[in-house]
Amino acid sequence: MSAPLWQQSIEDLSPQIRDGALSPIALTETYLERIKAFDERLSSFVMIADDALEQAARAASEISDGRWIGPLHGIPIAVKDNYLTSDMPTRAGTGAPGFDFDRRDSNAVARLRDAGAVIIGKTRMHEFAWGNETPPTSNPWDVNRVPGGSSGGSGAAVAAGLCAAALGSDTGGSIRIPASICGTVGIKPTFGLVGRDGVVPHSWSLDHAGPLTATVADAATVLQVLAGPDAADPGCANVAAKDYSAAMGKPISGIRIGICRNHFFDALQTDIETAVENAVANLAAGAAEIKEFNVPNLAYGLGAIFAIELASSTAWHDRAIAEGRTKNYSDDVRTLVEIGRFVTAPDYLKAEQLRRLLMEDFVQVLSEVDVIVGPTLPLTAWRKDEKEVRIGVEDESVLAASWRLTYPWNLVGLPAISVPCGFDSNGLPIGLQFAGRPFDEAMLFHVADAYEKTQADRGLRTDPK
Amino acid sequence: MSELDVYKDIFGVAFDAERLEQNLSAYADILAEIRKLRQLDLSNVQPAVIFSPLASKNGTPS
Repeated sequence: MSAPLWQQSIEDLSPQIRDGALSPIALTETYLERIKAFDERLSSFVMIADDALEQAARAASEISDGRWIGPLHGIPIAVKDNYLTSDMPTRAGTGAPGFDFDRRDSNAVARLRDAGAVIIGKTRMHEFAWGNETPPTSNPWDVNRVPGGSSGGSGAAVAAGLCAAALGSDTGGSIRIPASICGTVGIKPTFGLVGRDGVVPHSWSLDHAGPLTATVADAATVLQVLAGPDAADPGCANVAAKDYSAAMGKPISGIRIGICRNHFFDALQTDIETAVENAVANLAAGAAEIKEFNVPNLAYGLGAIFAIELASSTAWHDRAIAEGRTKNYSDDVRTLVEIGRFVTAPDYLKAEQLRRLLMEDFVQVLSEVDVIVGPTLPLTAWRKDEKEVRIGVEDESVLAASWRLTYPWNLVGLPAISVPCGFDSNGLPIGLQFAGRPFDEAMLFHVADAYEKTQADRGLRTDPK
Repeated sequence: MSELDVYKDIFGVAFDAERLEQNLSAYADILAEIRKLRQLDLSNVQPAVIFSPLASKNGTPS
């Protein structure tokens, strides 16, 4: 007996749709029913597309006429609320007045529609993508805990089977953080692989667009559609996507795996340390080589990303600050947006110099290894009322801890994917992070897919608990 | 010129004294990280910011 539709991956659903065994209408109805049943508890969506069933009916008609487009045809996908959409308003997570975002499709949404996807709705995000908690969204594995952020609604919706996949954006970890603590896959591609036209900016040189999905294969399928030229995004590299499906289902013999022992393993919750070391042992059994290394310049990374992210965000919000409109933001976001004024130009440029050093460090490392593996986060989902948690021998601010292991990959622009690697003693998901060479997402998919297929819980989703 | 006026002038902000104090307090931990960065001698390192003149449609700089 096959699993319920909401528990199936795109990889499972797509052939059924292609072959006429499953109607996109029935699949969309399944997700809409689950949204109706569970999203009052989760608050993962801010809007459902009025025409979701019409989109599904159109896909069904096209497919029955023999015009199947590809693996996303008829698949319901949700979109983070900072992606412009022609049929739904965009708020970028804010209730503050004075913002009137265009009603048009962003590059990524247009690509999904061209691939036949059903855009089912828009997911909740931390205001202006400036935070890692996404209130009031709940984590499906424990509704008293946060889903992470800033793409928290996307993480919760995918984990609870309210959509087949969702778009997120990642400036310091905002795809991988919710992926890790909601137990989904999430990939931040190489900077420039996915065009960001129509994504509300947060920090131009750190922002990345990408998907959250149930499995690695699904992430490859969605990224295949998202990647490629975007003439309206000056940061887009205009690099064509490789055939990621060719990377799936292959052994990792011959692959050299690196482990950065400083920074990424400095302070972890015990269950995470155990899970990640088990994953490394698992990988070591099949790989050609495990090579450990250190990157001392990571010690300066936090100051660098703060300088760049704060200054950039403040520049984008400049008019709102000048007009006194930031008082309408939530307190945490208002503060971050305002204090970017204190970052000096030399600090900003020194951060960009440090960035160059780190890039050179990782060029050297990635000439000796094919992928780098480590934990995605040093902690699992924290309670909504917690500000600090015990990590190792010290208490640490949840906000400082939550992006500690993800932001380095935004600074250097390298691709990074988070894959579930088990649960802690409270039944909360743990994430394993792989990073690799620029525009070599195929290598990440290759290794992450091989690892994921050793996991009994691959693609697992849950009703809210 | 008062200290508040200096901040307003240099940083281009119009926060009242209480708000300015809150923001400076919130910035303190971040500034500690940026101070580490300031200690590095990066004189010979090009920043990861590349200026690139825009090409016009016929391929010459506009």
